[in-house]
Amino acid sequence: MKFDKFLRDKLYFVVVFVLAYATSISFLYAFKVDQSLCVALSVIAVISFFSSLSFDFLRKKKFYDKLKTNTANLDKVYLVTTTLETPEFYEGELLMETLYDMTKSMNEKVIEIETNMKEFKEYLELWIHEIKLPIASLELILHNEKQKDKKIYDQIRRIERNVEEMLYYSRMESSEKDYLIKKIDLANLIGKTILSFKDDFLYQKIELQVENIEGQVYTDAKWLEFILGQIIANAIKYKKEENSHITVRSREDEKNVILEIEDDGVGISKEDLPRVFEKSFTGQNGHHHAKSTGMGLYIIKKLLSKLGVIIKIDSIEGVYTRVTLFFPKNEFYEVTK
Amino acid sequence: MYKITIVEDDQIISGELATLLENDGYSTYIVKDFEHSVEEILSSRGDLVLLDINIPYMNGKTVLQNVRKESNVPIIMVTSKDAVVDEALSISYGADDYVTKPYNPEILLLRIGAVLKRTKLEKTPNYEDLVIDFQRGTIKNNTAEEILTKNEMIIFYVLLENRGRITTRETLMTALWNNSEYVNDNALTVNLSRLRTKLAALGHEDAIETRKGMGYILL
Repeated sequence: MKFDKFLRDKLYFVVVFVLAYATSISFLYAFKVDQSLCVALSVIAVISFFSSLSFDFLRKKKFYDKLKTNTANLDKVYLVTTTLETPEFYEGELLMETLYDMTKSMNEKVIEIETNMKEFKEYLELWIHEIKLPIASLELILHNEKQKDKKIYDQIRRIERNVEEMLYYSRMESSEKDYLIKKIDLANLIGKTILSFKDDFLYQKIELQVENIEGQVYTDAKWLEFILGQIIANAIKYKKEENSHITVRSREDEKNVILEIEDDGVGISKEDLPRVFEKSFTGQNGHHHAKSTGMGLYIIKKLLSKLGVIIKIDSIEGVYTRVTLFFPKNEFYEVTK
Repeated sequence: MYKITIVEDDQIISGELATLLENDGYSTYIVKDFEHSVEEILSSRGDLVLLDINIPYMNGKTVLQNVRKESNVPIIMVTSKDAVVDEALSISYGADDYVTKPYNPEILLLRIGAVLKRTKLEKTPNYEDLVIDFQRGTIKNNTAEEILTKNEMIIFYVLLENRGRITTRETLMTALWNNSEYVNDNALTVNLSRLRTKLAALGHEDAIETRKGMGYILL
């Protein structure tokens, strides 16, 4: 709180005082009162005026300065009222009361929204669980009826993967830890993931090359399977018209087990590349080549950061796209083992 | 013939599962009284149990625990929840495997086959006078020996397991891909014809018959 601004705020007060004082002095002067009495009265008036003003300034400054600094420093600004004592001047009391009421009403609103969110998420999980039943039935029925039309299976898998995406989206932000870090054999997990894309590779005539995959990583198997699935699905979705290849390989450096998934598809333009992990970002590929929600990469980046895995994408438009995952080696585990 | 006990409250799924398994040469038993699932599982005397986690009256995990007190029958847990806790708990309660809905039927059959093989220590059947040596990757009779590639061995093995029944190209493909052999359609045809040639060299010229539009059958 600054004194000059405070003073400017009290300008009317100062003006009224000066006018009143000047009038009084002129009366005293007119009645020919002794000059020294005038001076003495002036000194008393000015001192008492400014000291009362300063007193008011200081007690307000004490309160408002604390309010300002606490607001600036607090992580959760809405908790500021709890850090302050009720001041001893009327305006301050009013302000505190109002702030308190505001916080209270906002808290209620937040709790209401949180409860709604929680209920929505619970329902969503339940719904996903339910929707999987008809999908599973459908798949079994088609298989049992020896349905050969690959287009039908294709569409079922599309539904399946979209449902999965929703499931992981709802779990992504959840504070509950619903993953389990275990030592996982990379080759095994990649084999499993690729197997679920068998038909896509075969019927879209994509040449798949899996180079010597080696190494163990510490991660959650289900999450990683979903993540790899998303990456492979993207590689398939944005393949070039014909003669396309997808290569999966792994290597190790001192700190990481590194997994690369590379395709020779349409690639990502220079302008789009830095933005691919943004929420709802679809870019040129998402518009031109295939329908895209723009959520896939956003979700997997979030999931990966929870798992402590770094993802990197590089690409040259029309040449290749390479997704690289860096799994940190768990030194502590290796040592204790 | 192995008998599979199905514990699944969605009647459409349990019915289709039964059809799927029967088409693949298993006999099936579908549990109906979920109030007494444990008793019914035990009395069905199946060789393997497909147990859904979400069944009425008693949670699948509790059923699993109770069955385990009485029997060591192989159990595969099935769920659509995809929750990590379920999987960890199921395995620690003694399930042999865990699959998540919706499952690909071919892959489900592979998993069932794998669990049965593991728990029953099934001996690999021989084919007529031919002895299969997986370690060396060969098939031989008294006079000659043929070296099979990994792909040919997988194909021969799947056909042999389903001997006398039609095996679809789809099944062969799934088995190959499941063993990290990412072959395409042409390669499968080539592998099959090479396998035929090798079988012929050992005196089994028409062992593998093609059933047009359906698949192959090992006679």
